[in-house]
Amino acid sequence: MTETSSNAAAGTLVTPRRRRRSSARRLETLIPYGLVLPVVVVIGVILGYPLYWLFKLSTEKYGLFELIRHAGTSVGLDNYRSVLHDQVFWHTLLRTVVFTAVNVGLTIGIGMLVALLLVRLSTWVRILLTSGLVLVWSMPVVVAVQVWYWMTNYENGVVNYVLSHLGIGDFYEHDWYATTFSQLSMVTMLIVWGALPFVVITLYAGLAQVPRDLLEAAEVDGARPWRAFRDITLPILKPILLILTSLSIIWDFGVFTQPYLLIGQSKITPGNYLMSIYLFEEGYFKSDYGRGAAISVLMLLIVAALSVVYVRRMMRIGDEVA
Amino acid sequence: MKKRSIVALSLVVLVATALTAATSGASTQKAAANSITVWLQTDAQSGWPDLVASVNKQFQSDHPGVTVNLQYQGWPDHLQKFDATLAGGGGPDVIEMGNTEMTKYMAAGAFQALDRSTFDNSGTWLKGLAASGAYGGKTYGVPYYAGSRVVTYRTDLYKKAGIKKLPSTTAQFVADAQRLMRTNPKKGFSPVYIAGTDWYIAMGFVFDYGGGIAQQVSGKWKGLLASPKSLAGLAAYKAFFNATSRASKTTDETHPNPYDVYAQGQAASIVGPSWFSCCVGKQYTGDTAQFVMPGHVKGQSIPGFLGGSDLAVPATSGNKSLASDWIKDFTSTASEKTLQAKGNIPNSTALLGASVNERAAARSWFVPTAKHWVDVENGNILRNMLAQILTGRLSIKQAAQSASDNIASVLNQS
Repeated sequence: MTETSSNAAAGTLVTPRRRRRSSARRLETLIPYGLVLPVVVVIGVILGYPLYWLFKLSTEKYGLFELIRHAGTSVGLDNYRSVLHDQVFWHTLLRTVVFTAVNVGLTIGIGMLVALLLVRLSTWVRILLTSGLVLVWSMPVVVAVQVWYWMTNYENGVVNYVLSHLGIGDFYEHDWYATTFSQLSMVTMLIVWGALPFVVITLYAGLAQVPRDLLEAAEVDGARPWRAFRDITLPILKPILLILTSLSIIWDFGVFTQPYLLIGQSKITPGNYLMSIYLFEEGYFKSDYGRGAAISVLMLLIVAALSVVYVRRMMRIGDEVA
Repeated sequence: MKKRSIVALSLVVLVATALTAATSGASTQKAAANSITVWLQTDAQSGWPDLVASVNKQFQSDHPGVTVNLQYQGWPDHLQKFDATLAGGGGPDVIEMGNTEMTKYMAAGAFQALDRSTFDNSGTWLKGLAASGAYGGKTYGVPYYAGSRVVTYRTDLYKKAGIKKLPSTTAQFVADAQRLMRTNPKKGFSPVYIAGTDWYIAMGFVFDYGGGIAQQVSGKWKGLLASPKSLAGLAAYKAFFNATSRASKTTDETHPNPYDVYAQGQAASIVGPSWFSCCVGKQYTGDTAQFVMPGHVKGQSIPGFLGGSDLAVPATSGNKSLASDWIKDFTSTASEKTLQAKGNIPNSTALLGASVNERAAARSWFVPTAKHWVDVENGNILRNMLAQILTGRLSIKQAAQSASDNIASVLNQS
């Protein structure tokens, strides 16, 4: 709008005014940068500074001895070399990638189904379900872990009690934390349960944008529900799904609180490490902060690599729309 | 346009989340000059809070205007918290350290050297404890108390089961446990509750059979768990556990606390520090007694882990002399006698009596005194091995061999 009106005005203007116009132009191109500057400065200070220290730390030998003296000794890329030559790192990476894929897949998949369900429910059931989701959302993670821990408790957990009474089998004193698979399955359930509200509510909001008449028209034309979902709903939800997936990847790849607390420190071994736990054990427990920093830099790069596909697609959608 | 800005905004959020996920910081707080911060373990909170209160009172009357800020810590994470304060400040002026945790910190220069002669009974400190607080000829840790492991049991249930004489061998103990099981046919009831991965008890069996954890041979650590004697001990532990305990095979001795199981009436006996008697539940206090756990050879007790704590003053403390004065009060002869009355072993041979705990300490074992031992503990190498053995996921030999190799490689780190 501004563009066209100033052009229209320019047509009737005489030459002396031209210079003023070009400086106004320059100002106009500078204003966006000026507007974005505060954000850049804030991000630079809040994230850039710690990041700088993280990188610096990752190139230093920094243990307990150095910690007390507040000074490390530079060792170049030794920390990275040592991490990349650690078998545990590669096993942990593979385990974490699979874990992330399963968690993100379940979160988005179940989230989508529940969101679709919400659209079809009567108002009061929808309100009931939404309130339930919001309650889950509002529960602090540590509290949630404790509740899950109690429910799956070996001696008197309600899960064992209910499963036994339903006649599914004898679950009396069943140990849900006996094997790595079982441990991580418990963690997955907890994470997906906790992540659902955000995904469901966001997708439900997105579904409101899907034009009803389009779906009805498809139905009239004989499209099966799956076809209508694939060709109408999904493309419209695509940007939202991409954002949710990228965020979920970032969260689940670096998840620490749930696995660490639910499995419990005394059961954490290299055999069930996830990436963030590996970082915590190597960096903090062994007081090798330089190596810990190297692991977190590597984690950052891996997450970036994992989500680059989604971010690029998101950019493309942004360009198309623009 | 609108959609584009939403996408752009999401990208910013995305990047910000990714970055914050990978960075972390430590909070700092500045200690006031007229106060000291003391970190004690929760054992004191549940076992002898009255002693702590009376020592603080005494200290404050000797040092008017000085406040004592007491913070209770748990064993699993107190070192991580301590490390954070070393970096960021705001740490304690006095810290309780487990005797297996001291070496790493003394070697790194984390503690202030103390004048040994200013503390009560320093000439007769328990040798093992005094050694855990000494490094390079200097004293960094003041022995606080020690504890051996004993059996805390229900006299009424033992009587009901017809056990007239306390067991004097492991085999007798197992036979008694079977009797207890018969007279208490409750679901989930343990004649002797032991958490599956309680390595303090399991290693007692290993030492009872003449085995060990690791040994230094010409400057290098060598794992001993896969030796025939250690394997015999591990096999005995597995058999004992299967016969006596209904605890989870993979859980540790704080999930749940054995004394909580006992207080709920789900155990006839528990094995652990003698201060476990503190928390056996009101209804059972009158029917609770303790005995020294027998070994497999008649007349010999099972070697108990000689646990203990030292008190140290961090090098970062701003009130080192006040801190040292507080330790003086807390380890005075009077304080140590109170600790002894609570079922602990006092820090000095001059105060030793003949309690069940002190008799149990006569045959004891200790972890390898290596700088990196604490990494073995934190890495749960022994617990993992026990879980593998008890669940049968690996044979005793396989599990022990892998743990033994692991321990040697951790201890031999530079």
